[in-house]
Amino acid sequence: MTATHFDRRYLLMAAVGVFVSLIVIYPLWQVLFRSFLDAGVLSLKSYQKVFSYPSYYRALLNSVWVSCATGTLCMVMGTLLAFLVIRTDLPFKKTLRTLLVLPYALPSFFAAIAWIQLLGPQGYLARLVLQVFGFATVPWSIYGAGGIVFVLTVHYFILVFITVAGALERMDASLEEAARASGAGTSQIMRQITLPLVLPAIMAGGLLAFIGALANFGIPALLGMRARFFVLTTSIYYALAIPDFGLATALSSMLVLVALLTMALQFGIQRGESRFTVISGKAVHPSELKLRSLRYPLFLLISAVVVFISILPILSMVLTALMRYWGAPLSAANLTLQNFIYVLGFETAQRAIMNSLFLAGVAATAAMFVGTVISYLHVKARLKGSRALDFFATIPYAVPHTVIAIAMILAWAKPPVSLYGTLWIILVAYLAVYLPFAVRTTNATLQQVHDSLEEAAKASGAKLFPRLRDIILPLARPGMIAGWILVFMPALRELTVSILLYAYHTETIGVVVYNMQDAGYREIAAALASIVMGLLILGNTILRKLTGGVAGF
Amino acid sequence: MNKFSHKLSLTLLAVCGMLALTCAVVLAQAKSPGRVLLYTSVPQQLATQFADAFMKKRPDVKVEIYRAGSTEVGAKIAAEREVGGIRADLLWLADAPVYYDLRKRGELLAYISPESKAIPADLKDPKGYFAAGRLINMIIGVNTEVVPLKDAPKSWKEFPEHGKKAVMGNPLYSGSNFVTVAAFVKKDGDWSWFERARAKGVAIVRGNSEAATALAGKEFGVAMTLDYIVAGLIKKGAPLATVWPSDGAISVPSPIAIIKGTKNPTGSKTFVDYVLSKEGQEFLVKQEVIPVRDDVKPPAGQPSAKQIKFMPIPYEWAADNAPAIREKFEKTMLQ
Repeated sequence: MTATHFDRRYLLMAAVGVFVSLIVIYPLWQVLFRSFLDAGVLSLKSYQKVFSYPSYYRALLNSVWVSCATGTLCMVMGTLLAFLVIRTDLPFKKTLRTLLVLPYALPSFFAAIAWIQLLGPQGYLARLVLQVFGFATVPWSIYGAGGIVFVLTVHYFILVFITVAGALERMDASLEEAARASGAGTSQIMRQITLPLVLPAIMAGGLLAFIGALANFGIPALLGMRARFFVLTTSIYYALAIPDFGLATALSSMLVLVALLTMALQFGIQRGESRFTVISGKAVHPSELKLRSLRYPLFLLISAVVVFISILPILSMVLTALMRYWGAPLSAANLTLQNFIYVLGFETAQRAIMNSLFLAGVAATAAMFVGTVISYLHVKARLKGSRALDFFATIPYAVPHTVIAIAMILAWAKPPVSLYGTLWIILVAYLAVYLPFAVRTTNATLQQVHDSLEEAAKASGAKLFPRLRDIILPLARPGMIAGWILVFMPALRELTVSILLYAYHTETIGVVVYNMQDAGYREIAAALASIVMGLLILGNTILRKLTGGVAGF
Repeated sequence: MNKFSHKLSLTLLAVCGMLALTCAVVLAQAKSPGRVLLYTSVPQQLATQFADAFMKKRPDVKVEIYRAGSTEVGAKIAAEREVGGIRADLLWLADAPVYYDLRKRGELLAYISPESKAIPADLKDPKGYFAAGRLINMIIGVNTEVVPLKDAPKSWKEFPEHGKKAVMGNPLYSGSNFVTVAAFVKKDGDWSWFERARAKGVAIVRGNSEAATALAGKEFGVAMTLDYIVAGLIKKGAPLATVWPSDGAISVPSPIAIIKGTKNPTGSKTFVDYVLSKEGQEFLVKQEVIPVRDDVKPPAGQPSAKQIKFMPIPYEWAADNAPAIREKFEKTMLQ
């Protein structure tokens, strides 16, 4: 066979390169070059607008600091919780873990609504505090920068939590044990061994949280306006309402630029990645840290956190779904199952659930598959040009979903290849939107896999596909499952891309929820979102039962 | 061939198969003769039920609905324009200035429906490029548990006096709010109403449904919002009331128009006829919508189009000065 002379990995890279070009580069280019056009002529007018209107550059600065604050808080919160839930002997760890991940299934504007319902001026918790402490008004405000950072953190810390939890589970215990044997104390081990080992995961998760906050629209749109606090995404939406494509894309380019600078920064920090490679193929689970007298106090503390950030918002949504109308006083007379009955009998909603399950399942699987290949080519094979591939595959994460949807129309709505009006254009858009999740999470996983394993297989004569199948995939699997969940959950409730791309009979859950909400039927929208939440919990329980707790969240 | 690459090629084959199947479905759809595609911002259930009623009467025409907010429909149309033209056959939005823009671009098909005789002249384009399909009205919604009805504002002039208890939607997001801002500015000749509202602390939220739900949630006592949303909440038991302001409600006609590039002009015309017909308007009345025809009675408890005092809306001025109006609003209310 002549194949031995030809590195098949280049073939793999070419295939993935075509995929990324069609799904990411070509569509986004269609939007980008329009930001340099003014009435068909090349011009920088749109960029001039961005920097000459104070409201736009102020929005840029707001976006940057809100995302920095959110990213930092997410890293602290996600890492601490992941450590406690994975590495200690806390009781009910599995349940706590599931409950912590669950609120990620809330559409972000529902998360905002739930928090308004809890902490807003008329919120349940706010009224409770007023009654108990006798204040005239609550000493906080959910509307404004503080509220936005809080809700974004609660919404996105999961990205850090899941990636760090995966890294902690895969960690080689021998290093810690060696340190312990040499007489190092627990806190010294944590600081000098454990923390540096999971640092790539913390950074990867933090970056996802940072960019997620940067590109989020629903939360600042609902919480910022009353305090006259604007960010880039809300300004982009204005530009689209005008509609001024040039301005919208110029603003989006700013957003992408901020994200890229942050990625470059992260890359700079992580130079010398080999320090972190620890998985060497041995299945040794790290030891549990005994909390001793702190076990129950910490359990109570975490339970309180879980109740506050997971259970209360979800309950608040379910409660909304049970109300005759939003804002009705809590009383038996105002509770009804009518909204659930309506949604279950609503043909469009049934179809939307099927469409979304299909789209989210295919998008998550395909994105993870391609993402793992890209990650392998970049992190392990280190082929020339693979870094560019990794880079392009990550860009869409920083592009507002509305802009991605427009890019897809511009790229895939004209003959000869018109996917417009079918489910496939939504799928293509989802792949672009979620590919970055796949790449970033598997990058963190593969960075921990030592090169020696694949090299040994290669030396023993294993070809590329067997190597991928027998070495890389099994080691990357926990990270891939975590990544799959990180794609599936948001894809199931995706709203902004779908609303521009759906057509008759290709409605998604997000579309139905949005249209109900928009007509003032918040309780019906909440009923549908609750049903989706229920499906997720059910699906997770079945998956866990079937796989003996290996898969699921 | 090993197992892994075997699986891979099988997957690829399956994907290709699915794509081919879809293309076939798309082609089949394109061929179906009686299809009309409607882009609308009319609430989902209302649009669906209305289309169903129409299709019962005209089974030869199949109406397919794309429903989203005005901004989304606008962005979709703008993107489609870049790649070969607007795909919709019919457009039914609440954003009247959009139609002036479309007319200027020559993207609308002129059609004077025989039914439009019964529609007042100020609710239709003289050349038949569009005609109001329903009326939605910007009114003052009151939560009577927060502000007793006797203390509620009777006019737009009094509205800002309720300061932090008052809320309105953002014209940068919502078409009907944009029209309202234009009407206020044109009537006063200046931005004094907004300067006063800003000074008193009137809150701005995203759009009319958010203003109405925040009102029902007792976060505010009075709201500038749309009549049918308040009527819907009252029907569900919320302690709300509607005040028709003495200085004139803003009636936002929600026009229906046919897109010039339609492949089914006949089917599109029959739909327009049905929207403007007595039967169509009577169907809308059952859904709390105020009719555009003089010969159709308004919903119970609602005034008829003739009884309401309306503030004139400067459409062409608003369409021509849209960027300046948006910018000035942003400076006055949002910075």
